[in-house]
Amino acid sequence: MATAEIPYQETVPLHHPKTWLGKYVFSQDHKVIAVQYGITAMAVGLVALVLSWLMRIQLAFPGLLEGFGPDEYLSAITMHGMIMVIYLLTAFLLGAFGNFCVPLMCGARDMVFPFVNMLSYWVYLISVILLLVVYPLMLFTDVAPTGAGWTLYPPQTITAGTPGADWGIVLMLASLAIFIVAFTMGGLNYITTILQARTRGMTLMRMPLTVWGIFIATFLGLIAFPALFVSAVMMLLDRLIGTSFFMPAIVSLGQKLEYSGGQPLLFQHLFWFFGHPEVYIVALPAFGVVSDLISVHARKNIFGYRMMVWAIVAIGILSLIVWAHHMYVAGMHPYFGFFFATTTLIIAVPTAIKVYNWTLTLWRANIKLTVPMLFALSFVLTFIMGGITGLFLGNVIIDIPLSDTYFVVAHFHMVMGVSPILAIFGGIYHWYPKLTGRMLNDTVGKIHFYFTFIGTYVIYFPMHYLGFVGVPRRYYETALGGTFPDFYPPSAHYLNIFITIAALVVGIAQLLFIYNLVHSYFKGEKASDNPWGANSLEWRTPQTPPSHGNWDERLPTVHRWAYDFGVPGHDTDHVPQDVPRKESA
Amino acid sequence: MTETTAPGNESIFTATARDWSSDVTTFKGVPWGKAMMWIFLVSDTFIFTCFLVSYMTVRMTVTDPWPNPSEVFALAIPNELFGLQFFESSIPVPLLLIAIMTFVLISSSGTMAMAVNMGYQRNKKGVVLLMVATALLGMTFVGMQIFEWSKLIIDEEVAAWQNPMGAAQFGSFFFMVTGFHGLHVSAGVAYLLIVAWRVGRGHYDHTNFEIVEITGLYWHFVDLVWVFIFALFYLW
Amino acid sequence: MATEGQQHPIKIYLLVWGLLFAFSAISYASDYLDDGVFRTSVILLFMILKAAAIVAVFMHMQWERYALIFAILLPPLALMVLMTLMAIEADYAWATRVEYMGEPIAPEPKPPPTHKPHH
Repeated sequence: MATAEIPYQETVPLHHPKTWLGKYVFSQDHKVIAVQYGITAMAVGLVALVLSWLMRIQLAFPGLLEGFGPDEYLSAITMHGMIMVIYLLTAFLLGAFGNFCVPLMCGARDMVFPFVNMLSYWVYLISVILLLVVYPLMLFTDVAPTGAGWTLYPPQTITAGTPGADWGIVLMLASLAIFIVAFTMGGLNYITTILQARTRGMTLMRMPLTVWGIFIATFLGLIAFPALFVSAVMMLLDRLIGTSFFMPAIVSLGQKLEYSGGQPLLFQHLFWFFGHPEVYIVALPAFGVVSDLISVHARKNIFGYRMMVWAIVAIGILSLIVWAHHMYVAGMHPYFGFFFATTTLIIAVPTAIKVYNWTLTLWRANIKLTVPMLFALSFVLTFIMGGITGLFLGNVIIDIPLSDTYFVVAHFHMVMGVSPILAIFGGIYHWYPKLTGRMLNDTVGKIHFYFTFIGTYVIYFPMHYLGFVGVPRRYYETALGGTFPDFYPPSAHYLNIFITIAALVVGIAQLLFIYNLVHSYFKGEKASDNPWGANSLEWRTPQTPPSHGNWDERLPTVHRWAYDFGVPGHDTDHVPQDVPRKESA
Repeated sequence: MTETTAPGNESIFTATARDWSSDVTTFKGVPWGKAMMWIFLVSDTFIFTCFLVSYMTVRMTVTDPWPNPSEVFALAIPNELFGLQFFESSIPVPLLLIAIMTFVLISSSGTMAMAVNMGYQRNKKGVVLLMVATALLGMTFVGMQIFEWSKLIIDEEVAAWQNPMGAAQFGSFFFMVTGFHGLHVSAGVAYLLIVAWRVGRGHYDHTNFEIVEITGLYWHFVDLVWVFIFALFYLW
Repeated sequence: MATEGQQHPIKIYLLVWGLLFAFSAISYASDYLDDGVFRTSVILLFMILKAAAIVAVFMHMQWERYALIFAILLPPLALMVLMTLMAIEADYAWATRVEYMGEPIAPEPKPPPTHKPHH
């Protein structure tokens, strides 16, 4: 055995700020940055939640909302989708969980470049402001938020008639480009920290699955976001200086536009070359978090750890070559359907491995139905639900009739809307004691859980039916008594009302969660260092909450994986990662 | 598990697996900044390749004629200079300016490589001189690019949205991709000058001067992108 | 932190520098060849040779450990998939335009207005 490499961070002093501003606002501490990311993402998520209420009210009770016309409806759809996918889910899972978990779980003092990490948050904040500034602008000017749908397909995105085709789209694209810069700064930090700044004994195959999920998701982000960046730049040029990258010769409102010869499908390809990995950028950290929650709260080692790791890696690789399954009806090369359907269905294999392994982890385990565990279990159920409808949509012939119906809406809300949100809730309930030193209230948590979990099924399950009867997505009016002829059976109308009421209730139930976060921060029960009896390193910090720098002079030394539960010959039912192996055992 | 030197007879797969399964660091002996720069460059590769793939797609799709770059970017050698006549008439040389730009950028890569070498010899004076030389060559490149742009815009009436010779996308992609590359060169010049100044101030004396290598990685990458732009935009 | 850096004899840098000049000159000269497969191959070949020389020597890739080399060189394979599929797609879209929209197959570009008087 050669001499062990010394973690560089033990030899370099951290920059300790003296002022309040330096400690809590322009902080370089990864934990503070995680909280900043988390609060901003949740705030912007609330905006998206309110938008979804407005849309649901319009669908169930047309005309009830004054001033919420078709333009506002389309804008609400666009903003809701973009905020949820990018500014909430990506930012929360990687910005908040990534920042909080990576250094603590790898046994590092901080991210490798804390200053760049801090910049990452502030640039993210700029992108959020640029995204939302359109609402105050709306009051004083005629700038409207873009209503192109979150996929922003040209040519309609920038042709007259689409809401916000003049300046709303410019703000959106600029905000996306800036978000990508922010993500790159953060992402480079996570990856370099995971690869180059682990502590002694922390091999990649001893890392908790949360870190694995964040690692592969961040890497996917770094190589998928460029495609979005490029398409945003090109569309900005089309819009602002009149190039024709994506714009074919086109007649709009009776007039031939100046554009000619561009390729609209190119945008769709670039967008989904980013967009499909994006699904896994959101899903993989959720997989990781849920694996850890299940193992800890079921007091059993994760089943097939190596298989779980390789499944994450395989999903990451495969996600780069499935993008055009979002485009079966777009008019692309007809043979592409075969290729992309095949690769898409292959992804089901590693994903199924993960689901089986979660189930087998639970098999004959000592399951504790704590709030984080409830959320983790509900994640698995919801993910199976959404994943199976994904198999429907991955097949070309089934996808074609279901394209752009509520079946698709139900599918992606289940699989990448609700599931990651459930994992985020689980993660927050799990790590809140470490972050603040106080427990979240259990009763409020359980009420929140049941409302959220049952509520999401009540909302999205009927949407599959709506899709089968042919209700299209993104339509302003699908209800009886609207201005359009009634294509749909009355059942569709009653379901719409049912879904809307459920959505309002579930949305309001989230206030319980916010109340719980705030109340417990001041009045919550004091948390011990390791309230769940978990093994990973973040529960082994000398202080709770961990101080700036996380550890004492010496970083911890890792001797085992994070899943040693119920190991014979030990006094406790769990053995943390930094406990040395016994010579005889 | 933490051995950093592998037995000589290992296969590359064993060697890779050994590094990836070790603790503390995966890339042995690679400073954080260098690892981060490499990963950033992978990400940047995706940006430039997405630009180039878009260029390929649109160029293959348009039915308007695509101008011949070797004629468009020809530069005429003047037949007289300061009143002295050299040739009977001016001689158009295809891609002359582009060729000179290419040689300037390659030269800057060479001086950068020397600067890195000087850094590891702890020759601070050499590092600063060579990095400033690199930055100057980079500025020359940007200057020539501005000249090329203005020639294209004024003389040939090509703009990002129009092209009297055929497909408008010729101008669009040309200005966008060379512009994005030019921004990278300009940012690189600023980066080089800042690092050179800090090296001169003794900022990195306690280190191994790997910052010079990290700056160099970025600069060589900019040169690398130009290799592809040169082949795919100007020659194709 | 390792203490040894990427220190190599200056000779190899000068050699690669010279090679890059030579390769550039050859690719530049390809402009005088007739259009066709041969010219395209020359362009691509020397593009790849130049790129390889820069990455291998100037960026020190050939002295790095395989762990780093694989991590850098494998992800761009995804771009090869994108490129291939987009080439097929573009070909199809072009054929559609010619077939269904009556657009011309291979029109000649107009000459550049180089010799026009300045306005």
